[in-house]
Amino acid sequence: MNEETKKQINERYERQLDKGERFWPDTIFKDLIMSLGIFVLLILLATFVGIPAEAKADPSDTSYIPRPEWYFLFLFKFLALYGQLPLIGKIEWLATVLVPAVALGVLTLIPFIEKSPHRHYSKRVLPISIMSIMVVGIVLLTLMSEVPTVSEDGSKLIGTLQTIAGIFIPAAAYILFFVFKSNTRLLIWTTSLAALSMIILSGTVLALAPEKHGEEVEVATTLVDQIVAGQDLYSVHCTECHGDDGSVAIIAGVEGLEGEKITPINSRDVLYTITDPSMYEVIAYGRPNAGMPPFGKTYGGELSRSEIDYITIFMRYSWDDRFDAPEIPELFPPLAEGEAPSYDVHIQPIVKRYCISCHRPDKDNNNYLMTTYEEILTTGDNVANNIIAGDENSYLLQTIQEHVIMNPEKPDEEMIGVMPPSKALKPNVIEVFIRWIMNGMPKTAAEAGVLFQSPTPAP
Amino acid sequence: MWKNIYLWLDERLGFDSLYANLLDRPEPKTTWWNTLGSASMFLFILQGLTGIFLTVYYTPSPDHAYDSIQYIMEGVAFGWLIRGIHHWGATLMVILVFIHMLRVFFTASFKFPRELTWLIGIGLFLATLGMGFTGYLLPWNQKAYWATTVGTQIAGTVPFLGEFTLKVLRGGPELSALTLQRFFAAHIWIIPAVLAALMGLHLYLIIKHGESHSPTKED
Ligand code: HEC
Ligand code: HEC
Ligand code: HEM
Repeated sequence: MNEETKKQINERYERQLDKGERFWPDTIFKDLIMSLGIFVLLILLATFVGIPAEAKADPSDTSYIPRPEWYFLFLFKFLALYGQLPLIGKIEWLATVLVPAVALGVLTLIPFIEKSPHRHYSKRVLPISIMSIMVVGIVLLTLMSEVPTVSEDGSKLIGTLQTIAGIFIPAAAYILFFVFKSNTRLLIWTTSLAALSMIILSGTVLALAPEKHGEEVEVATTLVDQIVAGQDLYSVHCTECHGDDGSVAIIAGVEGLEGEKITPINSRDVLYTITDPSMYEVIAYGRPNAGMPPFGKTYGGELSRSEIDYITIFMRYSWDDRFDAPEIPELFPPLAEGEAPSYDVHIQPIVKRYCISCHRPDKDNNNYLMTTYEEILTTGDNVANNIIAGDENSYLLQTIQEHVIMNPEKPDEEMIGVMPPSKALKPNVIEVFIRWIMNGMPKTAAEAGVLFQSPTPAP
Repeated sequence: MWKNIYLWLDERLGFDSLYANLLDRPEPKTTWWNTLGSASMFLFILQGLTGIFLTVYYTPSPDHAYDSIQYIMEGVAFGWLIRGIHHWGATLMVILVFIHMLRVFFTASFKFPRELTWLIGIGLFLATLGMGFTGYLLPWNQKAYWATTVGTQIAGTVPFLGEFTLKVLRGGPELSALTLQRFFAAHIWIIPAVLAALMGLHLYLIIKHGESHSPTKED
């Protein structure tokens, strides 16, 4: 840039200053309003959106799908799409190092690459086109970052569309930019068409995207939540051997361990001698020699680090007399006269505590799964008779009231034993099941509310 | 009495020249787009203040990091608010710095005589991303742990230097207590110091050259 241009630039700037404002108070006033607005926005976000809870880091849980901080998502999406390209897709460092490094290098050196002294938009169509396509690409890749590249039925269509929108169109646009370098009108057309087609394709991808079933990670944050979560996990995984209060001294009804003598785990012997870190080890690694299977993911079990911590917390606060348990809310709200219970509010917590330990996949249970509302109503070898709306003879109601169901074809053969097999439910829990089935198994509290019958006054 | 203190200070500091040099400057007509730089700076200061508060309770060790964050959220009065502001402030700062950069690009404000302001700006942009990357690991939860695992893995794919970079970032072959310690140091000392220094230079240059005017037909 020669001295003459520099002088012109400075003179033009002086003229603008004469027509301009004062930093104090004009400019700074806008700055302060902006900062204040941002501060208020942050307080609102912190209060009403908050920070989603997450489970503690668990290096053994390799099934966890890593997600980077959102502003790196576009890079990850780019890497994923790039990896699908034939041939060069295999050379990883091209995408992880070379492309970002070149992009960053160009960004840094912009003042030295774009050397013309002109500043008005009409004289900078090429640089503005390049940057616009880049920004549109980054935004779209971020938006598409959740969408998988292969749909559930194995079709790769969705991945191809993403690659076209995220890599091929921008690449083609960049090549065309250099062909049309000096023709402003063609540049504007190329940019608009490329941006538009990228947006339309990404929109299609987002519309086609398989519905996301939010992987529900339950994270207990308060002590009470942790104790309750621990108790639910304990009921699912440990009751069959240790009993629901940890008092079992002789295992009954477990294949291979029948009659095995064990130390009750609610005893001081166990609770005082095993510290929290060793408790973690005992549960994660099990007692393979004595017959307790490993539960930690590290050793092939199903429990994460946080989940084992919750179980330990539950054991401490329930049985260890050195800990004072906080007030634990009831498993379900007590029923008023004439009130119909619902699945969401009453049945689900009960089933989770008392039934799921056996009524989930890979357990002996006549194929009767109880992990969701639909499963409870539609699975089981005796699905036709298990739950019949309004019928007191539904098998489920019979078995929880300690009536064994005999096989109708061979009347002296037992078909379903009492449920749960080891220990009868409390009367108020049985009452919930009866009222639920007699009222037609409402799912939500709203559906149950409609069925509320206020007690008819005695005549 | 206040008057005397003022005069005493004025003699040594020179309020008039401070006022003339820093505040009473002419500017071209500015728009709302010109507030993004100072807004980024405001967020940096806010992040600093809330961050200092968080370090009072935070413990950078794999055994205690998660619980100390839990304690900030549940046990400390207004801890949730401070952490919430810090969390969302980080997100917003990245957005603002990015849009600020785009605005400087689209108005061609990086051109003579502001090339150096742009170069320093790139440093600020990278340092801001670095703050996000290092801060993300600190809560030591699943998201943090695995995001950092893959994030550092990418550094490992660099030809020749990869393995070395990976080891420097992680402090060993795997994510460990050392990694956390390292990221913590970078997040609260190293990168903020770099950011503050660069920001000082950035501001000096902006005061020296004045803010650019919106491009007109003759530019
Ligand atoms: C398949 C049966 C079985 C299951 C399920 C089971 N355990 Fe055990 N557990 C055992 C046996 C057997 C022992 C050995 C007892 C002994 O040696 O006295 C044991 C021992 C223990 C001990 C005491 C260890 C010691 O050294 O005294 C604890 C604590 C314990 N289990 C907790 C749990 C927890 C928590 C769960 C649920 C996550 C669980 N167990 C699930 C069978 C089981
Ligand atoms: C300790 C394991 C265990 C628990 C806990 C348990 N069940 Fe069962 N359940 C079984 C087994 C095993 C069967 C298969 C029939 C049999 O062997 O008695 C079964 C069968 C059933 C059936 C018949 C399914 C069919 O289609 O044949 C019903 C209904 C049932 N259970 C209800 C319940 C309910 C309700 C609960 C919770 C309150 C519960 N069970 C808790 C083990 C369990
Ligand atoms: C932590 C990050 C940053 C802070 C705190 C910051 C702060 C500021 C402030 C206060 C201004 C003057 C007001 C304004 O025009 O908005 C400014 C202008 C400027 N910034 Fe930044 N900035 C940051 C990042 C960047 C980045 C990433 C770039 C570009 C790569 C950049 C390049 C520039 C340039 C060239 C100017 C002069 C613009 C003009 O005169 O019109 N800055 N910056």
